[in-house]
Amino acid sequence: MKKMTRLTKCYGLFFLFLCFLWPSAGLAIENSECMDCHSDESLTKECTDNILQTSITESLYVDEDKFNHSVHNINGITCIDCHTDIEELNWDEELPHKMYLEPVVCTTCHEEEGEAYKKSVHMEILKKGITMRCYACHGYHYVEYSETATVAERGNNYCLKCHNPYQYHEWLPAKEAHFSMVECVVCHSPEVPNKIHLNFIDLVSNKLYTSNEILDALGVDYDEFMPLLDTNKDGIINSSELENLALMLRLKNIHAVFHVELLAELLPIAHEVKRGTAEQDCVKCHSANSTYFDSVSILMTRDDGTIDRYEVDRAVLESYNLSHFYLMSGTRVKLLDKIGFLLLAGGACGALGHLTIRIFTIPIRRKRKTDKK
Amino acid sequence: MNNEKRLYVHPGPVRVWHWVNALGFVILILTGFQIRFADILNIMPLQDAITIHNYVGFTLIGNYFIWLIYYLSTGKIKIYILDVRTLVPMAIKQMLYYGYGIFRGDENPHHMTPDNKFNALQQQAYAAIMLIFLPAQMLSGVFLWKVKGYSDYIHLLGGIKTIDTIHVILFFFFGSFVMIHCYLATLGHTPLAHFKAMFTGYEDH
Ligand code: HEC
Ligand code: HEC
Ligand code: HEC
Ligand code: HEC
Ligand code: HEC
Ligand code: HEC
Ligand code: HEC
Ligand code: HEM
Repeated sequence: MKKMTRLTKCYGLFFLFLCFLWPSAGLAIENSECMDCHSDESLTKECTDNILQTSITESLYVDEDKFNHSVHNINGITCIDCHTDIEELNWDEELPHKMYLEPVVCTTCHEEEGEAYKKSVHMEILKKGITMRCYACHGYHYVEYSETATVAERGNNYCLKCHNPYQYHEWLPAKEAHFSMVECVVCHSPEVPNKIHLNFIDLVSNKLYTSNEILDALGVDYDEFMPLLDTNKDGIINSSELENLALMLRLKNIHAVFHVELLAELLPIAHEVKRGTAEQDCVKCHSANSTYFDSVSILMTRDDGTIDRYEVDRAVLESYNLSHFYLMSGTRVKLLDKIGFLLLAGGACGALGHLTIRIFTIPIRRKRKTDKK
Repeated sequence: MNNEKRLYVHPGPVRVWHWVNALGFVILILTGFQIRFADILNIMPLQDAITIHNYVGFTLIGNYFIWLIYYLSTGKIKIYILDVRTLVPMAIKQMLYYGYGIFRGDENPHHMTPDNKFNALQQQAYAAIMLIFLPAQMLSGVFLWKVKGYSDYIHLLGGIKTIDTIHVILFFFFGSFVMIHCYLATLGHTPLAHFKAMFTGYEDH
């Protein structure tokens, strides 16, 4: 990720450099020039589907609004940064560029992801003559930041396009719970570090609250959010601070509970989906000292799209603050175990104590019996 | 009291229900420990523990209905219904017996008949267990079985952790109950008398 940001800067600098050296570089093709034609929803081309060998009509429309919201546009990547074989537009022709353009190679910029992806099952199928490109999962023009995306929005959407997870995993109980709370690659690329996100959800409408809705309700700004919460100023939101937050929201009539998800960090190794290496050891997650709980956070998206991450004490997972999350065994409430062992010990001591007294009092009963006779 | 009398106190369906229930409890408690303490205990793999727990859980639910239907259809359910007028004095008497009289060899203040087989303490305990705790345990168990499927109900009841709290507290309670229950069963006129009765149906006196 760091590398990419550096890369963006390089692009910018390179661009500036060109402008200085060669004023006509200002003629570098603007997105708007392409959009002259490609914003036309009816622009199509005829081509043959190479699997079915039939002629199909392909839309050449690009939704400018959506493109402008994409991670690439936000980072200054233009049409021709990807469609690199268009060097100039020849306005004299009806079609100002080549009829057949080379496929876009994502890995020119995303080298590390490309390397990791090479090791995955999805590249293995190249042997069978199937090419699965990056955009089979990500799409291309409208790639969005996925840092704050939920399980349903990210990985699972990609994977569910092609796989029905209910066909596999017959050994896994509570499949629905797992698939809705654990991103596929958390198990399928077990080396990728993972994290736990807490989102605010309204149970009645089943909708997640956006950062803005939460901040509006609290009446604070992004920069005031953490100081408001973190009353002991240790930079970590703990159980009682979280409780306060829930209380403050309730006063504003927001009945939000926390929705908890296990997600993969955005790192290239998320792509190393291999055969037979997925996490099958239940106790890796279903265990109180699981490393899966090491990183717990609340994310807030600013208006400019940047994301603030607030660290949360992992102990909250075992508290009733998260009453709608129970990862069996793993996030068990320890107090209950203590009460439980008192109950068991009480039962055992009661029975044993009574038995002991019964044994010691045998002589008394024997005596009374003989007396009676 | 006639010493020669044999009383038929445990009809067939009740005996079947009882032993299925007893075996089920033991299995559920063992697998329950494995499930809750998966990181500490290693009696069996977690998957197996969950699978067994679920099957046995549903068997017990079915079994519960044998009990319920039997007692409702024969009208015998009234032996579980507390008589508020005599409850407190009877319970105190019974407590005094267990805490003192029994050691001196006093006679049990409760005399068993087929229509009144429980003493006041048993009656209270069993009524609570059969009509409140066990149904609560079964219901919370079913919710835990399909966390997503029943999510609407689970949300209404305050979340999965709340449901689990009920299931776990009752689990420990039942664990404790089973120990005490087995011990109390040795307090018949011979240590094995009550156990035999639950097999033959007849309680000797
Ligand atoms: C004057 C209108 C016009 C402009 C300006 C234009 N295009 Fe096109 N573009 C077309 C047409 C028409 C086609 C369909 C060609 C065909 O029928 O095969 C096309 C096809 C394409 C294709 C698909 C090629 C393929 O191999 O299937 C891409 C990609 C493309 N354009 C990108 C761009 C980019 C990037 C720009 C800006 C640098 C741009 N176009 C500017 C008219 C235009
Ligand atoms: C992140 C890289 C990227 C950027 C930026 C990008 N494209 Fe594309 N574009 C692709 C990919 C990938 C395809 C899929 C076709 C292929 O190359 O195999 C494609 C396909 C197209 C097509 C063919 C129709 C389609 O949707 O499949 C058109 C037209 C097109 N792009 C126009 C544009 C225009 C106009 C812009 C700038 C507004 C643009 N592209 C920016 C990667 C990009
Ligand atoms: C010209 C360079 C370039 C090309 C080509 C390119 N990207 Fe990107 N991509 C970027 C930059 C820059 C970022 C932003 C990285 C950052 O925020 O640090 C990015 C970010 C991304 C992200 C990360 C989104 C997130 O959640 O943070 C994805 C996914 C992505 N690109 C997919 C693709 C795909 C798929 C292709 C091929 C269709 C592609 N990229 C082609 C430059 C490129
Ligand atoms: C099988 C589906 C799949 C394919 C194919 C795929 N990705 Fe990804 N990609 C993911 C998943 C899953 C993540 C993890 C984060 C997430 O869930 O959004 C991810 C994350 C990313 C990110 C953001 C994280 C980072 O490393 O900075 C980039 C960039 C990215 N992919 C680029 C690519 C590129 C380039 C290719 C092609 C070489 C590609 N992806 C192919 C599924 C895929
Ligand atoms: C564009 C379709 C597509 C997408 C999207 C996709 N896969 Fe695949 N996947 C395939 C194909 C095709 C195979 C190869 C099947 C084979 O070899 O028989 C495969 C194989 C696999 C395998 C090995 C299966 C086997 O039969 O051995 C796993 C595991 C897997 N994918 C997981 C994922 C995950 C996780 C995601 C999401 C990050 C994902 N896939 C996204 C098409 C896809
Ligand atoms: C709890 C961890 C876990 C989760 C979550 C999970 N999987 Fe799996 N999955 C496995 C394991 C373990 C296997 C067994 C085969 C293996 O080890 O690759 C498997 C098998 C598969 C296979 C067949 C692979 C084969 O070799 O036959 C596919 C396809 C697959 N999963 C896709 C998915 C998709 C899509 C998702 C997300 C909806 C998902 N999985 C979620 C652990 C998981
Ligand atoms: C990657 C981590 C992970 C792995 C591996 C995993 N689980 Fe889970 N499991 C979860 C999460 C997250 C939930 C959802 C918790 C919730 O509903 O609040 C869950 C829920 C469950 C539930 C539903 C009850 C509950 O606590 O909500 C059962 C039963 C379960 N898992 C059993 C298993 C078994 C058996 C295995 C091994 C075959 C396994 N899990 C492997 C993460 C995992
Ligand atoms: C009456 C006897 C029962 C006892 C003693 C018992 C005990 C337990 C215990 C201790 C746990 C572990 C809880 C935890 O991890 O915190 C558990 C879990 C579970 N029980 Fe039971 N249970 C009983 C009945 C049932 C029944 C009738 C069902 C219905 C199917 C059931 C279904 C479950 C399920 C699905 C789980 C695992 C899910 C989870 O813990 O989140 N149980 N049980």
